Amino acid sequence: MGFGPMISSLMRNKTGPLLVSLQIAVTLAIVINSLFIVLQRVEKINRETGIDVDNVIIAYVRGFGENFDVVDSVRNDIDLLSSIPGVVAVSVTNQVPLSGSGSGSGLRAVADETIDAVPTGRYTWSDKGLDALGVELTRGRNFYPEEIEYIRPESDSPNRDAIIITQSLADELFPDDDALGKTVYWGSMEPSIVVGIIGHMHGSWVGWDKLTNVVIQPGIYAYTTNKFMVRVEPGMRDELMPIIEQQLAESNRQRVVKGVRSLEEMAARSYRRDRGMAIILGIVITLLVGLTALVVVGLSSFHVTQRTKQIGTRRALGAKKRDIIKQFVLENWIITTAGAVLGALLTVVVAYWLETSFSLPRLDWSYLPIGIVSLWVLSTLAVIEPARRAASVPPAVATRSV
Amino acid sequence: MFTYNVKLAIKSMRRNPMMTALMVSAIAVGIGISMTTLSVYYMMNGNPIPDKSDELFAVTLDSWNPLRPFDDDRPERAPHQLTYQDAERLVELAAGKRQAAMFESSLIIEPASAEEMPFEATARVTTGDFFAMFKVPFIYGDGWDKSVDANAEAMVVLTRQLNERLFGGEDSVGRWVTMNSTRFQVAGVINTWEPTPRFYDPINGGFQEVNEMFIPFSLTRVLELDSIGSDWGWKAEEITSFEQWLNSEASWIQYFVEIDGARDEYIDHLNAYVGEQKKLGRFERPMNNNIYSVMEWMDYHEVVANDSRVLLGLSFLFLVVCLLSTISLLLTKFVGKKSETSLRRALGASRKIIFRQQLVEVALIGFAGGLIGLLLTSLGLKGIQSVYESPAGLVSLDWVIMSAAISVAIISSMIAGLYPAWRVCQVPPATQLKAQ
Repeated sequence: MGFGPMISSLMRNKTGPLLVSLQIAVTLAIVINSLFIVLQRVEKINRETGIDVDNVIIAYVRGFGENFDVVDSVRNDIDLLSSIPGVVAVSVTNQVPLSGSGSGSGLRAVADETIDAVPTGRYTWSDKGLDALGVELTRGRNFYPEEIEYIRPESDSPNRDAIIITQSLADELFPDDDALGKTVYWGSMEPSIVVGIIGHMHGSWVGWDKLTNVVIQPGIYAYTTNKFMVRVEPGMRDELMPIIEQQLAESNRQRVVKGVRSLEEMAARSYRRDRGMAIILGIVITLLVGLTALVVVGLSSFHVTQRTKQIGTRRALGAKKRDIIKQFVLENWIITTAGAVLGALLTVVVAYWLETSFSLPRLDWSYLPIGIVSLWVLSTLAVIEPARRAASVPPAVATRSV
Repeated sequence: MFTYNVKLAIKSMRRNPMMTALMVSAIAVGIGISMTTLSVYYMMNGNPIPDKSDELFAVTLDSWNPLRPFDDDRPERAPHQLTYQDAERLVELAAGKRQAAMFESSLIIEPASAEEMPFEATARVTTGDFFAMFKVPFIYGDGWDKSVDANAEAMVVLTRQLNERLFGGEDSVGRWVTMNSTRFQVAGVINTWEPTPRFYDPINGGFQEVNEMFIPFSLTRVLELDSIGSDWGWKAEEITSFEQWLNSEASWIQYFVEIDGARDEYIDHLNAYVGEQKKLGRFERPMNNNIYSVMEWMDYHEVVANDSRVLLGLSFLFLVVCLLSTISLLLTKFVGKKSETSLRRALGASRKIIFRQQLVEVALIGFAGGLIGLLLTSLGLKGIQSVYESPAGLVSLDWVIMSAAISVAIISSMIAGLYPAWRVCQVPPATQLKAQ
């Protein structure tokens, strides 16, 4: 049996096959677009942060009371934390990378207020800061200990003659030049010299397109509310977190330990929307593919049962088992192909809708052929078993039931 | 007659259990997915204060940098928060019926006994009008009055939870709490109040939990309260004291006004205020002051996440696939019932009766699918709550969603059943009997 009779047989009863094609088409459109979104989110969540996320602990403390001495307290806390066995490095920070909250600033390569400043996350660390996050300085130098001073709320503008910046911030400030050793200007036109460059590091707001723009100025914040970054030996984090919390709480009763959390957990929280979207769409895809496959199998088996007599007749007239299987597979192939063509169109429509209405990134078109090929493979797999059952109908069945 | 229809339908459904199960689960899954995303969308898109949403307005003043707008992508927008000095002045001018200036802070609560540990609690620092404006329900006492605001008295309104922790849930009005080394007197305790979205502060998150207490805005200066919310600045100013911070151009105060007059009148008032400030050398940008009603303010901050809309769209396409499956399965099934139908027709059943029989069967399938779909929806909502780590109870099944789920299931499956049912009716009485 060639295409001709098969198509005419499909046309005679066209609603059923048409519906299946339509279902395959919509399935294809949803699956391709969803899969694209899922993979994008997964890629976003798994970006290289440049930070030793797994081994960093963040401790939040806040002092209170009339005679609370901030500088004393911060100094003692740093000593205490550094003395705990397993701790690699400790630094106070004004904001925590990947946490979703923090502060930013603008830098310029020339002292001219009329040109746009390059936006960047702004961090204040001691000379231990790089080590406390496991961030790698690729060029230049770290801060010298003598450059680090305590910054109180009432301090005059802190000394920030020397700053460290990330490579991507350097590239944006000096597109054609090496930033190392250059002078850059803050909003107040106060100058700073770039003494070191970090190859790659993520800042605080994971959804920001300037996430990798980071500037670090030297200093130790001595505010009543303070954040410590503590890097520990690999594998010791979970063991050390309660110890850190307990020792901080016991060492000073004029200070509340607001929380001790792992950086990993904080980063995961920052990405929770993306992760949520990926999980939900993943479930949608699984259910959808499962449902469509079940329906195709169910319908094929039903048709086999219904057409037992016809199959028997063909077998009696000399058709081989192979021919019967071929008939079912080909039929299925025609329906799937029609669905794929329609589905490709629909995929484009949905992709266009997502791109224009929600400014999602444009669909990578290579997904379309991959999707169609997997569709063919899947639907062929779905029809093989019913087709084999059909082929096993003995020729005698045709004669028996007349 | 109807019970007979139902009996026959159940019989027919049992004859082909695999197919029935497939149809019911197709509808159940479709309903489960689409109703889950619909609930989330409906929750995000809801009007948190329906009877007052057109009388309450968020206020913005363009005090930003003369060289560039607050938001480069939307240059028509003024900063979404006010500077402290402007907020303080607008409260004094009191041009609206009520006004609430506010920000989030956190205080250290020092327990009465030495054994208990001090702890931190978040506060909304605001004016006494807040409670009446936003219709906050009280269990004990009330908000504070104007004299408290004027004299910067240390009064506090507690949430139910904090009152539970501090006073074991008793009526604590008039009692004292020490916070940041200052004694505060309890003015009132509010009942559970969780407007969703948290419309009065979409800037620090539309779906965050309510702050644990409320204290007078005028205490900001006295107690040097820091904001834990966002602040935005453009001017390089020397800020080494709290006084300088309060007088700076940083914008960090959210401001709401309730007006019963015309919107334009209030904007005129703002323009007049800014006009005066311009004479003092501030507000160098062109006049651009605006107010936004509650729902406009939600749109402004895009409280409904795009992701939620995308999910809604995709999940309704999913429902379409489920319905297409149902139609295909029904068609196939009815074709298999040709002989039975012929028999009924030959015995005198009219086409109308046959048609009705098919629809009853489909409606039953839809109903079963809807019920299971509801179960899946509640599972889905639990799942969403855990993946998004949202506060418990934020998204829950209410009767609107439940009735929507069941009716969408029944109606859509009946629509799906129309064509197959019509096809079955076309079976002539005689031919099929002959074939037996």
